[in-house]
Amino acid sequence: MHSCDLDITVSKLAKIEGHADLDIKIRDGRVEDVTLRVMENMRFFNQAVEGQVFKNVPQLVSRICGTCSIAHLTACIEAVEKTLDVKPSAQTMILRKLTMYSLMIRDHALHLYFFVLPDLFGLDSILDIPEDKKELIHEALHIKEAGNNLSNLIAGRAVHAPFEQVGGFSNEVDKTKIPAMIEELKSIRQYALNLVEIFYVCDWEFKRRTNFVALATDDFSYLEGKIKSSTGAVVEEKDYWDHLHSVVLPYSQASGFEFEGREFMVGALARLNLNKESLHADTKRDAARYLAVFPSDNIYHNNLAQAVEILHSIDHAIELLAKTEFKKEEPAKPAKLTGEGVGVIEAPRGTLYYWLGIDEGKVRYANLVIPTAQNLVNMREDVKKIVGDICAYNLPMAEFEARIKQEVEKIIRAYDPCMSCAAHFLKVNWV
Amino acid sequence: MPKKRVGIFSLTCDEGCSVYLTEIFNKKLLEWLEKIELVYFLAIKNHTDFSGLDVALVEGVVTSQKDLDFIKKIRESSKILIAMGTCAMTALPSGQRNNFKAGQLEAIKDHIDKYHFLPKALALKEAVEVDDEIVGCPINEKKFIEVFEKYLD
Repeated sequence: MHSCDLDITVSKLAKIEGHADLDIKIRDGRVEDVTLRVMENMRFFNQAVEGQVFKNVPQLVSRICGTCSIAHLTACIEAVEKTLDVKPSAQTMILRKLTMYSLMIRDHALHLYFFVLPDLFGLDSILDIPEDKKELIHEALHIKEAGNNLSNLIAGRAVHAPFEQVGGFSNEVDKTKIPAMIEELKSIRQYALNLVEIFYVCDWEFKRRTNFVALATDDFSYLEGKIKSSTGAVVEEKDYWDHLHSVVLPYSQASGFEFEGREFMVGALARLNLNKESLHADTKRDAARYLAVFPSDNIYHNNLAQAVEILHSIDHAIELLAKTEFKKEEPAKPAKLTGEGVGVIEAPRGTLYYWLGIDEGKVRYANLVIPTAQNLVNMREDVKKIVGDICAYNLPMAEFEARIKQEVEKIIRAYDPCMSCAAHFLKVNWV
Repeated sequence: MPKKRVGIFSLTCDEGCSVYLTEIFNKKLLEWLEKIELVYFLAIKNHTDFSGLDVALVEGVVTSQKDLDFIKKIRESSKILIAMGTCAMTALPSGQRNNFKAGQLEAIKDHIDKYHFLPKALALKEAVEVDDEIVGCPINEKKFIEVFEKYLD
């Protein structure tokens, strides 16, 4: 046991989305404090959406996060539609699923190949990968490109997708491109399986009892369902605020959350722990061996869960593209212009909540709960435990600090945190 | 010919341009790596020294004193500085606060003071000299390739 005093600061954590700093305070060999500071500057979207016409707000909030802009767009559109009684068509729901799958493929691939794989190979960057593993870069770029092409085909673009709108999609799908898109998705399927295998054999392990929360959808499409927790809670989307509680984090431009008074984790691991039965049949068939891992309380299995979700997104997207007769449709219209509503979806990093109030077609208030903000409390507790565990070994001083930095960055990265998002908590106007 | 030293930087924004850049990389990265050394890009490597750059690609808005210090340092470190995307070119959407009404300003005042925000959010060219610009939110792919490749030979 180290009986030392040590202050460790990691400023600008690399290979995560956005900016965060981390301070660790060790006194007499014990972890006294861990502060994860979200260093994104606020951009005051909560004030900026006030008074905006409802149709324009989804594209505005899309700018909260470049990485998962499609998640913000989709959740906000759902909230507008629930508020104003807009009934999207069955085809619109299929197009939204395809749009979400394009996001999951790109976003999880970016995280796993570019952020996590370097840790696995003891490298700083995927660009430094040795010659005999170079094919992984090609596989990474092909997977991302397929996701990017799917976004282009369905939603117009991967970042700030222009076609996805309140009530429907503004552009008709170019049917001549569907066969090539299906072929491209089939061509990356084996790469996704290779990635699943990499994270299945990876021996990283960190366990600490916690609670998992996810929106469980019956076709694992991230859009519609009930909020479930590993403690057995089943909550309707519209009732979420009775179960989630904001926790103030000092020194940070973000807030944390508890679910029914307890810290919890959201994201791919939570989804697979709570809902793996709903994955696509082809995914369940080819990934059966890997799926036996879940439910798991090893936080590093979030990486494995993301790789499985890439496979599922490919498989369900292929099916939807193959069996849907896409036709031109007019967008569904609002039945009213005043009300309140909640939109809940699963974003790549976990459950994303939008609560809107609209008066005569203009947004009166908005309240968002961001996945990374929900994970902040759990992340901090994990970091505390990891540092405590390392203190218990008798490592030489130089190695001690380096080891802490390495392990702490690794666990934070496993959550795939997005600090651009975490800096946005739209304050609640109690009415 | 020595490889061009390139840095990719994010000020206050959603990082949509650098995310979109990783999509442009799907087709172009391996070709570009023949000509460039990617010195600084926190999204994919943990290397924080960025002295002696040939090209700095910068997304985002100068909204705080920290942003201002950072962009000045980038300017000193790079021969060419390219503003990447609508935020860097126009200060929006962070700059929406420049036009807030009294009630909205009151709501954000404490935050502005506590985190040393500038009185107004600035586009890059309002803070330092900018050599080139790439339009779009996020950056237009064709325009990015056209502008970036000008500085690689």
